Amino acid sequence: MANRLGTIARDLGRMLEALAGLILVSVLIPLVWREWWVVPGMVLSGILPLLVGVGLSRTFQDAEDPGRLHGMMIAASGWFFVAVFGSVPFLLIAWTAQLDPGVLNVPVRFTTTGTEAYSTLAAFQNPLNGFFESMSGFTGTGLTMSVHEDVLPHTLQWWRSFIEWVGGVGVIVLTTAILARPGSGSLTLYESEARSEKIHPSIVSTVRTIWWIFLLFTFFSILVLWLAGMPMWDAINHAMTGLATGGFSITDNSIATYDSVAIDFALIPIMILGSIAFPIHYLILRGDLRNLYRDLQTRWGFIFFGLGTLILTALLFDQGFYQTEAIVVAGIVLQGQAATLFQTFRFALFQFVSAASCTGFQTAGSLGPGWSPQAQLTVTFGMVVGAAAGSTVGGIKLIRLLTLAKGTLFRIRGVFYPASAVRTFRLNGRALSTEEAAQEFEEAAIITFLWVLFLGLGAFVLMLSVPMGPDGFTLENVLFEVASAQGNVGLSSGITGPGMPTITKVMFLFNMWIGRLEIIPVLVLLRSIFVSMEVYE
Amino acid sequence: MHLEKIPFVGTLLAAGADDTVFDILLLLGPLVIVLITILGRTSLTVLLAVAYTSVFVGYIAYKSMATTESKT
Repeated sequence: MANRLGTIARDLGRMLEALAGLILVSVLIPLVWREWWVVPGMVLSGILPLLVGVGLSRTFQDAEDPGRLHGMMIAASGWFFVAVFGSVPFLLIAWTAQLDPGVLNVPVRFTTTGTEAYSTLAAFQNPLNGFFESMSGFTGTGLTMSVHEDVLPHTLQWWRSFIEWVGGVGVIVLTTAILARPGSGSLTLYESEARSEKIHPSIVSTVRTIWWIFLLFTFFSILVLWLAGMPMWDAINHAMTGLATGGFSITDNSIATYDSVAIDFALIPIMILGSIAFPIHYLILRGDLRNLYRDLQTRWGFIFFGLGTLILTALLFDQGFYQTEAIVVAGIVLQGQAATLFQTFRFALFQFVSAASCTGFQTAGSLGPGWSPQAQLTVTFGMVVGAAAGSTVGGIKLIRLLTLAKGTLFRIRGVFYPASAVRTFRLNGRALSTEEAAQEFEEAAIITFLWVLFLGLGAFVLMLSVPMGPDGFTLENVLFEVASAQGNVGLSSGITGPGMPTITKVMFLFNMWIGRLEIIPVLVLLRSIFVSMEVYE
Repeated sequence: MHLEKIPFVGTLLAAGADDTVFDILLLLGPLVIVLITILGRTSLTVLLAVAYTSVFVGYIAYKSMATTESKT
């Protein structure tokens, strides 16, 4: 037990050291924006995980390399504590504004009761709200406790975007890239963070290549958004959260704030880039574009986005939700039904890609009460499934859905063959033996079962804790919100906010946590804690 | 020259796709963004951003065609 704790504590310490680095680097932002009053809070927020991290990693530096059990416990506890320590900047900056020490010259808008800036920042005086924001950021969810994101200090706007950007690739991937440790331990940890794909034989090289790709795409995305008309600060933040399929925005109404066709269509390829697996990106950058249709997940990703968009467009057009008299697109004036169809397609495409890529950007303002239940459930299905494993998305992942679908067909067809027949199960170009196929099928079935189980549990808790019925929320609103939290998406039907009950916040925190790690590592951690506490034998 | 030996960014560049153009784009990216931030939205900065994104997309397309031709 002591050995196990030592290994966990050492690697947890390394993750906290990496987190401290992220916070301390972010001190540049208040210096650039001249937000001097947040600097002490940011520095203190960085020193805290640094001390704890260095203390743990030094004390247990000789601990054993992690095994599979350790790996899962490190991933689960690491993500939990990174979110805890990552919430400190929210807490300290909110309390700095509240206490308003004269020497720091806190801007009046943050200290005057009744202003939007005050109430938005004051929400983070509650540590649970900061923890929620931090967990939502690191897991790439995007559900927020900020009522008016546009009035937050630039430092907190950056911190929200930055943690989503890092969390999209993974905290362990970051730690491995920076604090490289050759050997089997890194691979175990990497796999525990819901990743299995390898670009190179060495895991350290793989994670560094992932960061190389991610940085290159980030710069490209920033410039694309800026060209589409976003101000540079907005472009930087939205490129980071869009590519990481996180979905935090620095504007009050997400992407709907801009009401720009160009920005909507510029963000779609960025969200799609984030939902393609990194090894495929690598092959494409090496000149092999054919992987866009050769790779099973990528091909089905495009089919999934296309089909979902068509269904959603048809549902919303039938509902007549986006009746438009006239709209100008690229200098062409569309009128009447053509204008309505274009607007419906525009919002359906954006919202379905945003949901299925698990980004969570919103352009359609009435996802909650306005859209028909069928339209909401179509988007919910997109959020539950997600896109490619090995990318930055959440959800069950397309590969598992395809494995289940193909596996089910394989089983049914098997009945028509003699018992002695030797059959091969083909998946993504691989020929699998019966045992291998059974293992793939079992893994996909277990994750899907757990996903649906916790979706149901979350929905149950939500239905008990938020107002339901004609004056409250509907079942489809509840399923939408829980699927959004657990799928690490961030679209909201209007339930999430600082005023929601504590039990709902705790449930969503749990949903986001298990969703990011694909559930099993968290269950392994909880079981280990319960066993060690002798809750059960 | 070994990429690893370049100060600060050597390790990152060495992890890339072994392609000078992408490495240059990676190095130029932050510089272009800072320049645009300082100068604002002008004809020059728009041209700069268009050039950067065009080279990125165009080079992927060119590389893909070159790779396909060499394989056939």
